[in-house]
Amino acid sequence: MNTQYKKGVLELCVLALLEKRDCYGYEISEYLSNHIDIADGTVYPILRKLKNDGVVSTYLQEESGGPPRKYYSLTKLGREAYKNDRAEYLNFARAVKTLLEDDNHDKE
Amino acid sequence: MTKNDYLAKLMNELKKNAVADASDIVSEYEQHFAFKMADGFSEDEISAKLGDPIEVAAQFERRNDAEPFSGKKATTIVGLVFADIFVGMFFILLFVWEAIMAAFSLVSATIAVSLIGGFNIYALIPPIPYGCGVIFALSLAALAVLASTGCIYFAAFIRQLIRSYGRFHHNAIASASGNAVLPSLAIHPQLPARTNRRIRTVALFSLSIFAACFVLAMVVSMVSSGVFEFWHAWGWFGYDGPLYKGGAL
Repeated sequence: MNTQYKKGVLELCVLALLEKRDCYGYEISEYLSNHIDIADGTVYPILRKLKNDGVVSTYLQEESGGPPRKYYSLTKLGREAYKNDRAEYLNFARAVKTLLEDDNHDKE
Repeated sequence: MTKNDYLAKLMNELKKNAVADASDIVSEYEQHFAFKMADGFSEDEISAKLGDPIEVAAQFERRNDAEPFSGKKATTIVGLVFADIFVGMFFILLFVWEAIMAAFSLVSATIAVSLIGGFNIYALIPPIPYGCGVIFALSLAALAVLASTGCIYFAAFIRQLIRSYGRFHHNAIASASGNAVLPSLAIHPQLPARTNRRIRTVALFSLSIFAACFVLAMVVSMVSSGVFEFWHAWGWFGYDGPLYKGGAL
């Protein structure tokens, strides 16, 4: 699939994860690469972009027996953006699904 | 590729692409290696799963080159300063209107209370029979409620307008400096549907009470004074009416 296209959707997935709770980078990378076929390295650029956009913020938290982990959390603007983008994406996906399934139907 | 090779190559590529905070990024990948190795993966496997460092580095946004944007940003800021001055004056007008409505509501309520309670502060209320006064008082009380409902709605409107303008301000600067733009905000108050319904009900109710009581009060006053222009009969506005001489009806 087109990587540029995937990247936009992945951003939404990251926001969806962070909407539930704060996560550290590795957690997000693991979760996404388990569910979606992407290279592990793709998630960090997305996180950085979201941070530059002011949609997520980071904080460090000490973990027992290890270096402090960098946690990502949604900002207020991030929540707002997530709400908008989610509705937009779901509408879009629904429309595409209807269109594609309709096409299949005709061929049968 | 070993961990050290991978990280070194990544660092190199990031620097080549002029990405900001390269060492911070590399340390995040270093942590990724640490987590994965703790799960029992080999350095080679982890490197392969991460993807080619050249491709990974290419996905990071390049540092905003200050030069191409600085001119545009300065123009935007100057423009915004002028916009702020005009919009600021506009907001002052809105606040004044809010204050006028609040004062109007307060005055209506005070007159209503005075008419019903029979006070006449500084003799500001012209002479009026108590019965007519009470009906006028009811219409004024309804007007006070209507005005304060208006105040509440208008305050919500001003608040949303300010937020919306703030967002526009933020977005103008963000787009001039090449940052991401946030969704813009609506300008009408975003009240919950229930509050909206209540405000509408109260406004309609008080408006009809006001209209009904006001017409009733006029009619009753005309009938009880016996003339169409009852204010002349009762000596309002400096008249010496036939029914009013020197302070008493």
